[in-house]
Amino acid sequence: MEQAPELDASLVREVLAGNQASFQLLVERYQARLFGLTRHYTRNAVEIEDIVQDTFLKAYSRLPSFQHQSSFYTWLYRIATNTILDFLKRKGRSPIHAVEDPEAATLEAPGQGIVRPDARLEREEIVEITHEVLRELPEIFRTVLIMREFEDLAYQEIADTLGISIGTVESRLFRARARFKQKLIQMYPDFAQA
Amino acid sequence: MDCREARPLVPGYLDGELSEAQAAPLRKHLLACPGCRSITQAGKTIASWFVDEGPVEIPAGFAARVARRALAGDTGERWAAPLEADGDLGLRGFVLQLTAVAAALVIALSIGFRTMSLPRTDDLRADDFSLESALEALDEMNREPLGEPSTSKADESPELTEADEEGRRE
Repeated sequence: MEQAPELDASLVREVLAGNQASFQLLVERYQARLFGLTRHYTRNAVEIEDIVQDTFLKAYSRLPSFQHQSSFYTWLYRIATNTILDFLKRKGRSPIHAVEDPEAATLEAPGQGIVRPDARLEREEIVEITHEVLRELPEIFRTVLIMREFEDLAYQEIADTLGISIGTVESRLFRARARFKQKLIQMYPDFAQA
Repeated sequence: MDCREARPLVPGYLDGELSEAQAAPLRKHLLACPGCRSITQAGKTIASWFVDEGPVEIPAGFAARVARRALAGDTGERWAAPLEADGDLGLRGFVLQLTAVAAALVIALSIGFRTMSLPRTDDLRADDFSLESALEALDEMNREPLGEPSTSKADESPELTEADEEGRRE
């Protein structure tokens, strides 16, 4: 998630000093990543734009409180994640909560395995299936899977963003992957390993 | 390294989170153990479902539009409650505030009155009642002959005396 922190820090200082054009530069630097992140949670283009816009507006209004303790993008990413989750909650689209203890990771081999996506599937089809399965997972599992598998965040970055320990990230990811496989097989039995 | 030690490390290994000191013995174990190798392969399979969607489409002029809104004072808190959003409390807010102030006043007054009616520390002191004075009172009682009513209280109370006299006249 490292994104030329020196340049970011310099742009942030310029914005705080009153250089308004620097804020537009910050938006241009990170808009693609935030649009990409947000589309993992909703496929509606208008909603994606609203969420990303609100994320940047919040960042601007909170910029004086940015302490440079993390990179600007880590800070921005945290605002984006909270904005997305708030949005989904208010839309009533995040009703699935884990019934079991999400941190109670078992170390046994998970149940039935899954196969790799069929070579005949188009990329768009794989994306659609994966998101369909993700939508069925409890929010905490979906969030860590998106952060790790799509966004390629390190455990420490996930921990910092969500305010949890690395041990919790590990156990939550373990559980999330097991649930993803289980749900994929349930929804698409053809992808179960023979 | 045996399977019990190896399996918890597999997810971190696949995610590139292990140090070389942890990864080296695990790699050695995986070469020798088909069971753990199979679990590791299964972990890789999941990753193959999370494919890159490709470039995202950004609406034209998005950054300039957001910058303009930010400079215009839009804080992006559109999901906050209306009362918090614009700082205008309105009639409902005013009534709520007034009620809160009145409630606080009533509570403060009731606590004040209750405190005033409670005995003060000085009222509860027993210093004046010494053993000596108690013994003196007992001696005086002993000196009085039995059967004769004490007049000491009546002397101290003029109202009682007048009432008694009136009673006698009647």
